[in-house]
Amino acid sequence: MKTKLALAFAATLCTATAFADAGKGVNDSIKFRQSGYAFMAWNMGKIKAQLEKPETFNKDQVLAAANVIAAVANSGMGALYAPGTETGKGWEPTRAKPELFKEKEEVGKLAGNFRAAADNLAKAAAGGEQGAVKAAWGEVGKTCKACHDKYREKE
Amino acid sequence: MTKVAVWDVPLRLFHWLLAAAVAALLVTAEVGGNYMTWHGRLGLFVLGLLVFRLLWGFVGSSYARFAQFFPTPNRVRAYLKGEWRGLGHNPIGALSVFGLLGVLTLQVATGLVANDDIGFQGPLYPLLDSRWSELFTGIHHLLAELLQFLLALHVAAIVFYLRIKRINLVRPMLTGDKEVDEANSAHSQARQGGGILAAVVVVTIALAVVWVIGSGHVVQWFAPPPPSIAPPPAW
Repeated sequence: MKTKLALAFAATLCTATAFADAGKGVNDSIKFRQSGYAFMAWNMGKIKAQLEKPETFNKDQVLAAANVIAAVANSGMGALYAPGTETGKGWEPTRAKPELFKEKEEVGKLAGNFRAAADNLAKAAAGGEQGAVKAAWGEVGKTCKACHDKYREKE
Repeated sequence: MTKVAVWDVPLRLFHWLLAAAVAALLVTAEVGGNYMTWHGRLGLFVLGLLVFRLLWGFVGSSYARFAQFFPTPNRVRAYLKGEWRGLGHNPIGALSVFGLLGVLTLQVATGLVANDDIGFQGPLYPLLDSRWSELFTGIHHLLAELLQFLLALHVAAIVFYLRIKRINLVRPMLTGDKEVDEANSAHSQARQGGGILAAVVVVTIALAVVWVIGSGHVVQWFAPPPPSIAPPPAW
């Protein structure tokens, strides 16, 4: 009788821990992807600030920011959208729409566009020509927006 | 049929500039990217237009003044009974004027602190905690939908007047004149007041408001002081 009770208790504990771990994985995924986007936004802002003051345009700072954006864009963020992460909380409740997890081809396309635009911005930043950087920056913004418009809940 | 002067020049300019600006705002918001800079500039322009209209509603010519056409319950009831007479905005038209101006004012106000999570921030964004910006950005997006609906209604009403009632409301808003059967009857007075001096003063105030807000001066006056004057760490 006592053995059965002990076994039942152990089984419940294991199941509870397993669920707790699963919750933690979802929580981390959402946290990391929210962090990634926020970090890129900071760097987009840095480049924009440089573009708004052409006289003091610092090519190296712009390149550093562009490299960050390209690095994050190429870091395989798809892995953070594993099944199970449709709902949950990272730093805040996820605003990813359920469609993001269903329309895989379209999402993949938008993600590819975003990576290409980010790579292009890094290239333009390396070149140092302000006009090219401005155009490339605008294109990255458009790829961010393309996914937001389709797959992110409005505030 | 004679022509009576109803809409003054500043008012007509205001109307068509506003229409063009709002159209451009909707397009720039849709396109995004580098066009967000223009979205911001146009938003400030609309701020100026709205400040102008608010003041002109008190010192402009007769039919531009809010008191002249404000849709009180009595006036609305009279209109619905077919008893309203007048040259300016009828009470239902007046409701649409205040509705559109109200939504546009809220749109500008929320836009001043909004952000697009990418690279755009309204000029007053530094004044608030970013969570407020999130909230007001959400309202800004919602109101954009409402605005498009109201604009469609506005255009539909004009078309309704044109096709069904056979009254052209576009031409008066361009030329300023309305055709009446009996000029200078009790309900067909030509507009009075709202001269050059009033216009110059009101436009100057509108420009001042836009300059103060758009230039960052408001932020400098009201933003919390930075934690210290020493530069941030360089690592």
